[in-house]
Amino acid sequence: MTKTLTFSALCCLLAAPALAQDKTLTISTYSFAQDAYKEALYDPFEAICDCELVIETGNSVERMSKIEANANDPVIDMAVISSHDALALARKDLLAPLDVASIPNHAKLYEAAKDPLGGHMAVGYTFYASSIVYRTDLVEIDSWADLLDEKLAGNVSLPNIIGTQGPLTLMMLGKAAGEESADYKAVISDIGAHADDIVTFYSRSSELAQLMNQEEVIAAPVGRFAWSRFKSSPLPFAWAEPAEGQAGGMNVMIMTKGNGNEELAYQFMDFWLSTEVQTRIAEALIDSPANAEVVVSEEVADNLTYGAELINSLNILPPAEIIDNREAWVEQWNNEVIR
Amino acid sequence: MFSSTREGLALALPAAIFALLLFIVPVGILLSEAFQSDTGWTLQGYVDFFAKPLNQTVFLRTLKLGVLVAGTAAVIGYAAAFSISNLSPVARGRVFGLIILPLMISPVARTYAWIVILGRTGIVNDAIIGLGLSETPIRLLFTETAVFLGLLQLFMPLMIISLLSAMENIPRDVIPAARVLGASWFQVFFKVILPLTKEGLVVGGTLVFTGALTAYITPAILGGSKVLMLETLLYQRVNVANDFVSASVIAMILIVMSFAANLLLKRIATARK
Repeated sequence: MTKTLTFSALCCLLAAPALAQDKTLTISTYSFAQDAYKEALYDPFEAICDCELVIETGNSVERMSKIEANANDPVIDMAVISSHDALALARKDLLAPLDVASIPNHAKLYEAAKDPLGGHMAVGYTFYASSIVYRTDLVEIDSWADLLDEKLAGNVSLPNIIGTQGPLTLMMLGKAAGEESADYKAVISDIGAHADDIVTFYSRSSELAQLMNQEEVIAAPVGRFAWSRFKSSPLPFAWAEPAEGQAGGMNVMIMTKGNGNEELAYQFMDFWLSTEVQTRIAEALIDSPANAEVVVSEEVADNLTYGAELINSLNILPPAEIIDNREAWVEQWNNEVIR
Repeated sequence: MFSSTREGLALALPAAIFALLLFIVPVGILLSEAFQSDTGWTLQGYVDFFAKPLNQTVFLRTLKLGVLVAGTAAVIGYAAAFSISNLSPVARGRVFGLIILPLMISPVARTYAWIVILGRTGIVNDAIIGLGLSETPIRLLFTETAVFLGLLQLFMPLMIISLLSAMENIPRDVIPAARVLGASWFQVFFKVILPLTKEGLVVGGTLVFTGALTAYITPAILGGSKVLMLETLLYQRVNVANDFVSASVIAMILIVMSFAANLLLKRIATARK
């Protein structure tokens, strides 16, 4: 009998790791800061879920293509992506609406993050402000309109229209010019008229940081997530507070339709949105928190998009406006700006 | 060399299978998308591509820079190859080593060096301001000039190596003989050196032109989005717009341009016989 019990216990011990390996969650995420995410998020989650996380990284287009190509038999369980890309996937019927009752920490989020697309198709996990970084010793920035002013001619860079920051810059230049329509035709034409004054249309914030640190550019719009690159520079950079305010955006979590792994995906989403994990991620300066209960030091907050006052004041471009107008923006941009 | 043709074929078979399965078939499938639509085979992708003013500009810019880079590389390459071919064997080996040295350095590192050189606070602008030619730095980065210089530096060694190889095959007495018979250096080049090195020019010209057309890193870093070339446009179409049809069209245009350049150079070389 003792021998039988010992044998059974041994079998259970040997089988446990095999069972844990059977339980996997495949997530699709941006490729930046993966080492920091592993330490702050992935490893702690694997320690409590008794499962294995499979992390797939890439740019948005690649990751969206993969979700679309495997719509009938999803290979991705959940993904993090920009709110407008999430809307594009939702419109293709590739996403499952979220059961927020399965995400208890959902209640702790800022209002804007709770249901950014409607129908609970996504939930925000981070915000980012967008404003103008500039050299305080060379120029003063009071308005988004300063970007196209004579004083910055030949020294300014704008984000490319195809990136996340591009549409936000159009929105704020439109706001500065009093343009209400989301087609931003006049704004794009204005940028086209000043194209020779613009050093380049950057695609990545790292590219802009390099240009500004090499003194090729003295002012440019950029997301707050990149501020630490400028803050640590020996050159005197400042974060502008233009009269029209700051632009903002949000990245969201989504669940692929019919992935069959919903329970584990909800567990992971809830873990990510918890006060503890969002604080850890914020303190590592990876993402700004969407959980309103997160408290960080002033020093950490200075690098993030942090606090109800700031988040509620952001000018957020509705995802639907981006999706509905992007093709026309790019067409006009190619004809009038890039030429 | 082989006891039978079958042995020769057997030895070439692994490489042929490798090329067929891992290169020709996938590239063929990808490129075939450029001729397909929902209704069947079509050239509409090409019509749509060339109907857009931006694409026309990018095509002409790519062609122009390819020709300029290949032409300039040929002019400088002939002078360099002629000088090197007249050096002693030891000196020639050392200079040859210096020529191929850039090929051993990553194109990314080489291109980033140009940012330091051409930047507002770079060596060129320091010299321009120091010489009093301008009071303020001149915009050199993100211009066609920057892309041209980057591509020229990148591919010049290929032209020099091709021409040097051809020039070493010129009989030693031919040039002195032409000079003794009264030919000017201009006549020596066009009547003696050029005809005898045309194969090297065809190879070098094709390598440099094709390389300039298909380079991605240099135009992307030194030209950015303001100096789009076909290769950077292709990347945008795939990675930003997920538009594989346009990307396939661009890839096919690049292939056709490369083959056309090779055929044209061969034709010119043959016509000089």
